[in-house]
Amino acid sequence: MTTPWVRLFGVKKEKDSDELPILELLSHIPIFEGLNRRELIAIERILHRREYLQGETIFRQGEPGMGMYIVQEGRVAIVSEREEQQLFEMDKGHFFGEVALLDEGSRSATAIARTNCSVFGFFKPDLFELIDRDPRLGLKVVLRLARHIGIRLRQADEWVLALTTELEKLKRAESTEKP
Amino acid sequence: MPGNSTRNRIQIFAFFIGVFLLCVLLYVGGVAAIVVTAAILAYILNPVVTAIEVRGLSRGASTALVLLLITLGAILFWYTVIPIAIEQWRSMQSGSATTATSIAIARLESTLRENFGFLGLGNVNVTEEFQKLKGGFVERIPNFLMEESISLLLGLVMTPFVMFFILKDGLSFKKYFISLVPNRYFEFTMDLMYKMGVQLGNYLRGQILDALVFGALATLALWILGVPYFVFIGIFAGLANLIPFVGPIVGAFAGLIAVVLEKGDIVRGAYVLFAFGILKIVDDLIVQPWAVGKSVQLHPMVVAIAIVVGGHLFGVLGMLLAVPIAGFLKVVLEESIETYRRYRFD
Repeated sequence: MTTPWVRLFGVKKEKDSDELPILELLSHIPIFEGLNRRELIAIERILHRREYLQGETIFRQGEPGMGMYIVQEGRVAIVSEREEQQLFEMDKGHFFGEVALLDEGSRSATAIARTNCSVFGFFKPDLFELIDRDPRLGLKVVLRLARHIGIRLRQADEWVLALTTELEKLKRAESTEKP
Repeated sequence: MPGNSTRNRIQIFAFFIGVFLLCVLLYVGGVAAIVVTAAILAYILNPVVTAIEVRGLSRGASTALVLLLITLGAILFWYTVIPIAIEQWRSMQSGSATTATSIAIARLESTLRENFGFLGLGNVNVTEEFQKLKGGFVERIPNFLMEESISLLLGLVMTPFVMFFILKDGLSFKKYFISLVPNRYFEFTMDLMYKMGVQLGNYLRGQILDALVFGALATLALWILGVPYFVFIGIFAGLANLIPFVGPIVGAFAGLIAVVLEKGDIVRGAYVLFAFGILKIVDDLIVQPWAVGKSVQLHPMVVAIAIVVGGHLFGVLGMLLAVPIAGFLKVVLEESIETYRRYRFD
């Protein structure tokens, strides 16, 4: 039982029965990696839990992006509407849409719930609010986010390089085959 | 999926009905004005609470500290300004300042008779009219206070109470509200609320800043002109300036009445009006563009209608809140349309 005074000043928070799994889930997300328990609880407070039915759209390609989603339960497909093909399938512990936390652009793909699923949303306004209220933690998150996107950029560079080399090889092979 | 889209539509319909019913309930319950005032004050004070929170205090403690400082300020106001106000009201009632006033009124009467006799103003008895007006006004104040004291007291207790929780738990309230929005409109709602919050915060803080600057300038001008009670009238003019059109005129007339009644100096009264005219021009050309910016530009007709509707629904408080609320509704409408266009709803 919480007394009105405890409720008023938030001195002690009652433990939710599923609190630990959420914190555990968060601690494995690169953006929140290495944060202590207090910091993870602060992050958990600003997350939005959403439930989606199988086939329901989470966001659509071309729409403005507000932030990222972490899959807690179920599977989510990331689909390119232009090529009409599935790019990835995400399940428990995976996250997507994190670029929207930094840029003002639109979503580059559509996310659809493949099964009934529950996800946690982490959004730009809440990140800004966090930076205002707890700049130290906000900076930690933004730094990790930048690092994560840096890694992705490096990977993309490597893929581009590998594909270009492959393409060159194919072109050369084609020209030697021709009389 | 058609099933999902129908479900979403039903959900969004239920959501809006819920919000509408809540508004009706607040209005019928008579707490709408309290909640709106508390929300606006919370909005203005939010950066202060956050600034304290950044220094390591919990949100609850930061909010409590801000509220404590405001309470101390109110107590200080109660013990310093209120006794002077009561004293001035008594002097007005006893008519201690009537010698100079009656001279001024007699002068006004003769001017009216000489110059405007052809309009049928020749036989007007200004002294009698003035006594009637003053008597009515002085009698009405205690009656008003008696009748309104319970609701005034309720408002004085309830507003900080509601404001405290909006400041402390605002984020949880927002999170809960967003959790009620159907999936399809959820990111759109977040986007909208965020943009509205930024716009509204700038607008409200701008209005308050404008009122403060206008109040300070008016006080300075009234002090230079030697107007009695210049601090009161200055503060009053600053607050009144929040109500467009009517506000500046009311402020100017408060200064005019003070000079004419206390000093019996019509010429200085004209200077007061002139000073307010210049202040208004300075306000419109320099202060407002700097403080309020171009965030919310309301059509003059909309402002006029808003003031009348606000006054009709909630009295003077309604008139004060009418323009911020109209500004809020305009932001909601504009941002809704703009944001809606960017989403691909079926």
